[in-house]
Amino acid sequence: MLCAIAPAITAIALGLLLGPLGDLTWNRFGYSLTPDRANDLSLALFGAGLLVIAAGAVMAFRAYRRANNFLGAAAELDDRLQCNQEIVTFATLADPSAPESNRARRTPLFPILWRRAIAMFGGLNLRDEFKLEVGEPLRRSSIFAGVVALAMVLATLGLVRAPTPESMEAAKLRGIAEEIARSATSTDDTVLADKIRQAADALENSKLPPEEKKKRIEDAMRQANHAAEKRNNNESGKNQAAGKSSAQSGKGNGKSQGQGNSSGSGTGEGKSGTSAGQNVGGNNPGPGKGGSGNNSGKNDGGKGTAKNDQNKGNQSNVELQNELAKAEAQVETANAKNPGPDSKPGDDKNQGGASKSGDKSNEAGSQPDPNKPGDLPKPGANGDRNTPSAGGNPKNNRDMGSNMGDTHLGEFPTSTNAQRFLKPGEKGTAVDIKDARYVMFRLPGAPTTGNGGKTVLDTNRPTATTAYVNAPLAPTSDDAPPDERQLVPPRYRDMIH
Amino acid sequence: MGAAPQQISPDQRVADFRKTFSRAESEVARVIVGHRDVVRKLLTALFCGGHILIEGVPGLGKTLMVKAASETLGLSFKRIQFTPDLMPSDIIGTQVLTEADGHREFQFKPGPIFAHMVLGDEINRATPKTQSAVLEAMEEHQVTVFGTTYPLDPPYIVLATQNPIELEGTYPLPEAQMDRFIFKVVMGSPKPDELREILNRTTGTAQNKIQPLFEPARAPQAIENLKALVREVMVAEPLERYIISVIGGCTPGGPGAIPEVSQYLRFGPSPRGAQALILCAKVNALLAGRVSVSYDDIDDAIVPCLRHRLLLNFQAEAESVSAESILEQVIKRLKKPRT
Repeated sequence: MLCAIAPAITAIALGLLLGPLGDLTWNRFGYSLTPDRANDLSLALFGAGLLVIAAGAVMAFRAYRRANNFLGAAAELDDRLQCNQEIVTFATLADPSAPESNRARRTPLFPILWRRAIAMFGGLNLRDEFKLEVGEPLRRSSIFAGVVALAMVLATLGLVRAPTPESMEAAKLRGIAEEIARSATSTDDTVLADKIRQAADALENSKLPPEEKKKRIEDAMRQANHAAEKRNNNESGKNQAAGKSSAQSGKGNGKSQGQGNSSGSGTGEGKSGTSAGQNVGGNNPGPGKGGSGNNSGKNDGGKGTAKNDQNKGNQSNVELQNELAKAEAQVETANAKNPGPDSKPGDDKNQGGASKSGDKSNEAGSQPDPNKPGDLPKPGANGDRNTPSAGGNPKNNRDMGSNMGDTHLGEFPTSTNAQRFLKPGEKGTAVDIKDARYVMFRLPGAPTTGNGGKTVLDTNRPTATTAYVNAPLAPTSDDAPPDERQLVPPRYRDMIH
Repeated sequence: MGAAPQQISPDQRVADFRKTFSRAESEVARVIVGHRDVVRKLLTALFCGGHILIEGVPGLGKTLMVKAASETLGLSFKRIQFTPDLMPSDIIGTQVLTEADGHREFQFKPGPIFAHMVLGDEINRATPKTQSAVLEAMEEHQVTVFGTTYPLDPPYIVLATQNPIELEGTYPLPEAQMDRFIFKVVMGSPKPDELREILNRTTGTAQNKIQPLFEPARAPQAIENLKALVREVMVAEPLERYIISVIGGCTPGGPGAIPEVSQYLRFGPSPRGAQALILCAKVNALLAGRVSVSYDDIDDAIVPCLRHRLLLNFQAEAESVSAESILEQVIKRLKKPRT
């Protein structure tokens, strides 16, 4: 049994450590073991460990039976004392459980055998002869343990692959899912974690069609939105309650000021019945709505904690949304690279698209060819968090006051949203793009030519009605990446208020 | 020595056996230089109640060895020189017409086979007919002449020699007859030191007289008592199984037969081989001062007991594979049962 300990421990420990080892390989060397293969390998190691334990148990049982066997014990003693089978012969002829015929085989020389056997037993020191020897079995079995470890290493080396962008993204999503599952407080979180895992699996599954992959990713996004909304609602309820109590206490004193010990710090002015937590970052003072005039509670400790939790949740939600968006973009990219058999020339959706996401986030993406018609770029493909939100729907604005910058992930503009900018002469709420880092346009098509090469003027093209200056919208910085310095052609500047 | 086994203690009997054997070896060694293993096998065969086939070139002292052994033990000795024209009646005896008191009658005149120790010199030179005349005597310890059976006095042992060279005009012993010999021992040439000693002893004036261990009248009974003691040595069941596995392992197609056995053998040992193994192992145990057989005793007996019982096929002879090498492989590969 001792022989089985080292190999079994090695196999099971390796099986348990396969996950961390895989993570280490991923983090340090950039190679990944796919979850399926890691799972198979882990199962194989557990199986090997169990097999060794079973073999050890069988050996132990056999040793136990041998020790309980009269003749077996005699043979063992014979070996130990080097009695030239005299004890075995003695035991054969003296075995109380043996049939009478065995005793009939005794000869007149049997007394001599008896005396010799007894004399040999007299010199037997059981403590010395049957010492528990741990070192030798462990040393011998360590060879087998080494073989198990070596086999595991070889199997791992054979199974690891340089990860594809999809698998990298899937790994990130799985990490987020694990985190969410660990800190899950409601069933929504658990469902969300499952959805993310499914999305990650789908992302890696090359057999799934891109539509299905997108569907799963969108499912995860929806679930993430749902969970975030729910969390926000809960938090706002708490904040309302906190605001109320703060307001009430303020009434009595006229002024009430308190300091919280919370690691987060928040500043807000309470208004009874209104949450001041929205749009307030952990370290950023957020403007609350006006107080009732009499009461203003500053830096409420409880409120700060709540805000911190909320902000944390928001950050992770944003991160999740980012990763999901990247995943979706990758699906689209992959789909574009490998168009299906029905795809036609000109169906390339990347035409006119924004730069693609990738490892080199600082590199300029492919720019739209202004001479080519194409779809509007899809957000998420370039980490474009400042894409203006969908037209005039403040409810869908997911700006949570994070210090990671504004984001509109989750509400991707559809192709119809290309019309959200006002045309010349059109009235409506202007889109505030003052703080935008860049703006994307859909350029009108080139002048079309009729039959025979005759030039036809596009008289319906939009024309500017307001004066404009040939100046950049916002001060540009030289160190900004090129894609953030693109200027709006003057003829279109009047379209932007 | 030589008293009835019931009158002396088992310990004394074992001690007597060892002493007798040891003294016999010493006495034979007074006239035979070297060949201690052959002498030991000869005495072992005697105490096992078997016969021995000695193979060696002429002039090695085979006849002298047998003669010295018989003289040491106080047993009668006869020598038969086998030749192609030797007739069975020359060996076992014949009816002779005699005249006494006025009337004539046939009287059986025993041949040289009627002795305790019979040396059949160059047995392979006799015709198969003559050789087969020895079969009954060897196995049944009796001879039948004209319908009358004559028992041979115990102890009875045939020591046959055969010359491995000058095989022209010889009749190799049939398998059935070979199987009746408990051992086949091969006598090699003496080493230089031994040869010098032989020269000193045989070409000088010194006479080496053998001191008989038993008086001729008591010797047969004393030897029989010692033979009885050999059969009282105990064998544990696992060792019996080991002997059976050895026999099976040497039999082509037998249980546990190794590939070499199937490749090079036509036939394996008979049950007589197993009997020979046990008896020889028992003598070995007694000589070691034990009253039970050990695996070492058996292993020590395997080659001399079984080498002449393996019938090699043509391939083995073509490839110069010997029975001894096959037996060595069997001993190496067989597992000894513990219980």
